[in-house]
Amino acid sequence: MADLYHTKQRFYLGAYKSIVESPLPDESSSEYQAVLTYKARSYLALNDPKSALKLLPEGTENAGLKAVGSLARYLASEGSGDTEAALEELRDLAVEIEGDDVEGTEEDKALVRVLAATAFARAGEVEEALETLGSETEDLEAVAVIVQIYLSINRPDLAKKQFDRSKNWAEDDLLLQLIESNIGLVTGKDNYSNTYSFYTEQIGNPTLVSPHLLTARGITRILRGDVQESKSDLEESLAQQPDDVETQAAYVVAAELGALKRPEADELWSKFASQHPTHPMVVDLNGKSDLFDQCAANFPLPPAASTVSA
Amino acid sequence: MSVMLTKFESKSNRVKGLAFHPTQPLLAASLHNGSVQLWNYRMGVLVDRFEEHEGPVRAVAIHPTRALLATGGDDYKIKVWDIRPQNRRCLFTLHGHLDYVRTVQFHHEMPWILSASDDQTIRIWNSTSRQCIAVLTGHSHYVMSAQFHPKEDLIVSASMDQTVRVWDISGLRKGSPNTGGPGSSNQSGPGSFETFDSFSTVKHVLEGHDRGVNYAMFHPTLPLIISAADDRAIKIWRMSETKAWEVDSCRGHFNNVSSALFHPKHELIVSCGEDKTVRVWDLAKRSSIQTFRREHDRFWVLASHPNLNLFAAGHDNGLIVFKLERERPAFSVHQDTLYYVRDKYVRQYDFNTGADIGLLSVRKFGSPYVPPRTLSYNPAERAVILTISSDNGLYELTNLPQQAQGELKDSSVDGKKGNGQSAIFVARNRFAVLNKTSQLIEVRDLSNTVVKSIKAPVQTNEIFYGGTACLILSSPTSVVLYDIQQQKTIAEINSPPVKYAVWSNDSSLVALMSKHTIIITNKNFSQHSIIHETIRIKSGAWDDAGVFIYSTLNHIKYCLAQGDHGVICTLDNPVYLTRIKGKTVHCLDRSARPRTITFDPTEYRFKLALLKNNYEEMLYIIKTSTLLGQSIIAYLQQKGFPEIALHFVQDTNTRFELAIECGNLDVAMETARTINRPECWNRLAQQALKQGNHKVVEKAYQQTKSFDKLSFLYLATGSTDKLSKMQKIADARGDPMSRFHNALYAGDVASRIAVLRDVGLHPLAYLTAKTNGLDDVAAEILEAAGLTEDDIDDVPMYETSTIKPPPVITTSTDLLWPSLSTGESFFDRALANGQLEGGAEPAYTNGDAAGSALDAWAKEEEEGEELNPDEEGWELDGDAGEFQPAEEEDDTLEELGAGATPGPEETELWARNSGLAVDHVAAGSFENAMQLLNRQFGIVNFELLKPLFLSIYRASHTYVTTLASLPPLKLHVRRSPADAPPNRLRPVAVKTLQAIRSELSEGYRFVSGNKLVDAATVFRSVLKSLLLVVLSSDDEAALWRETVTAAREYLLGVSIELERRRLVEEEPDNVQRSLELAAYFTQCELQPPHLQIALRSAINAFTKANNHAHAARFAKRLLELKPDPKIAAMAQQRIQAGNRNPRNAIEILYDEFTPFEICAASYTPIYKGSPAVHCPYTDAAYLPQYKGTLDPLLQLTEIGASASGLPAAW
Repeated sequence: MADLYHTKQRFYLGAYKSIVESPLPDESSSEYQAVLTYKARSYLALNDPKSALKLLPEGTENAGLKAVGSLARYLASEGSGDTEAALEELRDLAVEIEGDDVEGTEEDKALVRVLAATAFARAGEVEEALETLGSETEDLEAVAVIVQIYLSINRPDLAKKQFDRSKNWAEDDLLLQLIESNIGLVTGKDNYSNTYSFYTEQIGNPTLVSPHLLTARGITRILRGDVQESKSDLEESLAQQPDDVETQAAYVVAAELGALKRPEADELWSKFASQHPTHPMVVDLNGKSDLFDQCAANFPLPPAASTVSA
Repeated sequence: MSVMLTKFESKSNRVKGLAFHPTQPLLAASLHNGSVQLWNYRMGVLVDRFEEHEGPVRAVAIHPTRALLATGGDDYKIKVWDIRPQNRRCLFTLHGHLDYVRTVQFHHEMPWILSASDDQTIRIWNSTSRQCIAVLTGHSHYVMSAQFHPKEDLIVSASMDQTVRVWDISGLRKGSPNTGGPGSSNQSGPGSFETFDSFSTVKHVLEGHDRGVNYAMFHPTLPLIISAADDRAIKIWRMSETKAWEVDSCRGHFNNVSSALFHPKHELIVSCGEDKTVRVWDLAKRSSIQTFRREHDRFWVLASHPNLNLFAAGHDNGLIVFKLERERPAFSVHQDTLYYVRDKYVRQYDFNTGADIGLLSVRKFGSPYVPPRTLSYNPAERAVILTISSDNGLYELTNLPQQAQGELKDSSVDGKKGNGQSAIFVARNRFAVLNKTSQLIEVRDLSNTVVKSIKAPVQTNEIFYGGTACLILSSPTSVVLYDIQQQKTIAEINSPPVKYAVWSNDSSLVALMSKHTIIITNKNFSQHSIIHETIRIKSGAWDDAGVFIYSTLNHIKYCLAQGDHGVICTLDNPVYLTRIKGKTVHCLDRSARPRTITFDPTEYRFKLALLKNNYEEMLYIIKTSTLLGQSIIAYLQQKGFPEIALHFVQDTNTRFELAIECGNLDVAMETARTINRPECWNRLAQQALKQGNHKVVEKAYQQTKSFDKLSFLYLATGSTDKLSKMQKIADARGDPMSRFHNALYAGDVASRIAVLRDVGLHPLAYLTAKTNGLDDVAAEILEAAGLTEDDIDDVPMYETSTIKPPPVITTSTDLLWPSLSTGESFFDRALANGQLEGGAEPAYTNGDAAGSALDAWAKEEEEGEELNPDEEGWELDGDAGEFQPAEEEDDTLEELGAGATPGPEETELWARNSGLAVDHVAAGSFENAMQLLNRQFGIVNFELLKPLFLSIYRASHTYVTTLASLPPLKLHVRRSPADAPPNRLRPVAVKTLQAIRSELSEGYRFVSGNKLVDAATVFRSVLKSLLLVVLSSDDEAALWRETVTAAREYLLGVSIELERRRLVEEEPDNVQRSLELAAYFTQCELQPPHLQIALRSAINAFTKANNHAHAARFAKRLLELKPDPKIAAMAQQRIQAGNRNPRNAIEILYDEFTPFEICAASYTPIYKGSPAVHCPYTDAAYLPQYKGTLDPLLQLTEIGASASGLPAAW
């Protein structure tokens, strides 16, 4: 029991590496499949769909595992641009689970919805994602995804509503706190205090070590305007996982905000931009750079003054 | 009598009994299936159902004054019900009849219930004692009905034995022998009927019907009886004290007559029968006037309303409620006079004096039973045209006498008549008549001669005055504005059939009323708004302010031109509005009597003022009226005026909410005291904290006993005395944690130690004492613990602590921090002053004949329209008004789930909330940012700013992954994270003035270190950064300007010096120029240490070139700067050398005695008074020929371009 519990906890708090590194429980164990699912999903979270696929038993009929496989294929195909096949698989699965003759528990069905919605959201199909999850769901993970989607389309009000609704039926779960914290990240209510204390609390949690939490708190601190503190969080996180893209990205922002000197910040950025050309921040910045050139072109340059030296 | 105006119909099982409620629009219907329904016929809703009878219910009655209902059924029972909704129930059941109960009736004053039954008896029950007090026997067959006389102690009954009987029950009243008489009634079997006979006697037996009689009733005032029988006849009987006889019969029904009634007001009889007709008869002539036929429904029962012109008939499949004639009086308003028709007399009513006189009789115009339908008044000729719907539509044109004469003139004397359904004056000597069948509109002159005949362009049912030479034509689907002279349609608006048109007093607007819609349009129909009403619209009139007041069946409402409407008051009965004057509604009631209703126009005046932004008026209303209620508050809140709403609210909870919302701490405080709940105090504390009002925060914390927060607040505000009080309180509370806290805040080491000792943390206490140098105390603790120094030598020793609470620099206990601007509104200010600016009541003298004021209103309105013709677009507004509710629904529907529309990006908010270029950069709206920079500082070359732009944008956004595999959330770094409201969100200040100034200092260091190239780079960078810095106050702005100037001077100086060095290197012969440059360098505004360097370098150069006089001048300036002795000595030397040899070997362009600026392009002086152009950003000077070129100093701006400068965006 404890194993699954911890796996779940580590999963939600982003300690994917530690899940991936842990061995699976005995195959006869009742938790085997659940832990396996989380492990596969952790691979996916680490953007390693190949390992996830390897892990999955072949020819499984379990809806949840099938969905994990489909999502893995989706992620694997993301680079190539042909994602439709995997999306279709997920669509079919989402329809299938409405029927009765599907192998899998209610949790598996909920998982299918969550994973399908995840893929839809990644593909930018917000409406489809929300539809798949349904607004009346009583699955906390689904709520988390819904909330995240609302937040991503700048509707924290709806996110809050969905969260408030889930409080009526959900236990005070770690995931529930995470959802609240995520909402706080966007709304910035009470100076991000909710989010900040959530991460501080979880960092203090002795049962798990997740540098992701440090990164998240570092980002929260950036938002709170505590740049120096954020720097120390991020550096600590980087010490544990030097390759973590997210932490690096956050570190870039902290550097820009004065954690590092200008040349260092610039250097950090150019390094980051060249190493992770697909990171949304880099993509966004490249777009902005083009935009800048476009806008700047609207202003014709006057002739240069013929100065003494010229 | 033209139509039976059906008001309401219901479908149900066969209706056997009907009864009107005397005052409310309620109708009870008893059904053949055993149910009794209570309908609200005005709203058309079923209000209640009473279902306890078994089998058909034939008898039903409503008490004339109390909320009681009596029913009698085929289950032999009579039931009495309480019909008040809150305690509706069967009060009691009267048992006694031995067969079907046919009718029941309440007595108008005694507590008696009368019932007729198939058991051949009529019984009277005492509803108080709930006992039968009389049994009238004599009929030899079913008794089909029994009715009390409306005044006398008589009963009339009808029976299948073909007789109608009149009973005298006066004995019952006098003797009232056995009200509650024991035994006799209850225990009397059928055999003991005789017991009661002494109290009631048959007075008359009316014989004449050849079949069973179904119904009989007394005339309300005359000694007449009417009866309806299966012999298809209705008979009228007259009676005297001693006898009764048949007067006449009305024949015409060709099947059993179920019921016949006297009309309560007119000399009419209404009957219905199984031949599926309802018929109306003339009582005097006994002739049939009108027949209404139904296809399939046999009529079983009729009921008349006790007071109103309303009837109900029950048939096989339900019931109908109907009127026999139009109640709407024909009227027309001219200025302050109302011309109207009552009882077929044209009358004149003066609104001001209330004088009401008859002018003209129109009794002979059309059918005597039908009132005229419309009246059109011609003030020029003092003539009226009336129309009437009888005889297929007639009109009559008559002159009104100048004043009332003794004998009123009858219109038939000189009236000019004709056929037509609609007739109105269209000019002083012309009127138009519509003939509906031929669809011809004839224009006639006053002698009734046709001067023009027009074919109606659309199917026209009614015509109205349409303004000069125009008509408004009402067709089934539209309303048309038609020009008579040009004979063409000017405009057309789609609309349900328009029934009435009312022009505003200034003839600029017209309200077109249909059954359920009102269209308000201007005089050429180019703009209009539509209001929909679910309840039938009856009439309307214009307020002098241009507000349309209208009445529905049960409300008087208002409607603003843009479509906003609301209820003014409720009505018991419909009225017909004629004129609105100030707070008075003039109207005609259903019997065409003038009435006035006083109402409170505040609400719509207020809304009107709000619409027109007329704050004075609003304020006046706020201060003088008692305008209250949730609706207006919600309205204000919705329109974004919480602070105004605050002034209306008395409910403390709402007041509190509003006060918090608009940041009015005083009110919030006051209300929080009244409410006195912790949540309130907490919210107050939060808001006060936001506004920096720590005194309120303190009070709120005290109320909630938030000791921790209080202590911290005191620490933050530096009130040490209060902190020590907190210590005492903590002592008293016996809370060691709190004591410790406070001791820590107060820097009270002794207390801290004491706390630690008290709670048994001796080691901590010891260490605290030790590290604070209190060795005695430490020793004491040690002793108390029974230890010696030796026992603890393994405990490491610490340095004496230097940590202290920070010293109080500014005691802010009594200071309030710069508080958040609460946006003091016009209202707050004015209400605080206790008076209006200007002080006087605004001229709102609606209808009080104050012409000038009205003109002002009208003018204001016109101006308003001219100002923004587009926004005033009625159509849009009208639609908005109409669809708003629907949108709201959408909102709630949308709620959650798919289809959620994306909200505004935070970056959009940033851009919206700020006029600073840097904020737009952070928001990523580079285009705006560039335009701002261009406008403010004349920047044209943005390429150089690109790294800055991108760096700022980069710094303002961060990404975090919160859920596995989902794309990360993009988060936006805000300037002050505590500011949550979206209208205050702004991006983080990436560049601060402080940081840039420290960068500037770095530049200074480079100058001192003679790294001039580096220095120039730094100064350029500083100047670029300064373009994108966040400023928040005037002081900062001043500092900013100072920084810009300093950086510019240094950059200029450094550039000159670099140029000089280049020159020395590359053109060693051009000594003159290099000397000039050296001299100009010293003219830059540098700080003394740097100026010293410039001067020393100049001295060296000039000395070398043997320009000793100049060198001496520089040395003098150097001395003024008080350099250190060594340099001073050197300077002295130079001065002496200059004195000895006051000559200059090389002439240079340098006049140090005339102030000059240095052209930053050519490095030549621009002496005071000579023309110069400037850089729009740094204000660097240039020779005029450089105007329009890129500035060489920074390469950013266009020299001489105009710029608005720094925006005051804080």
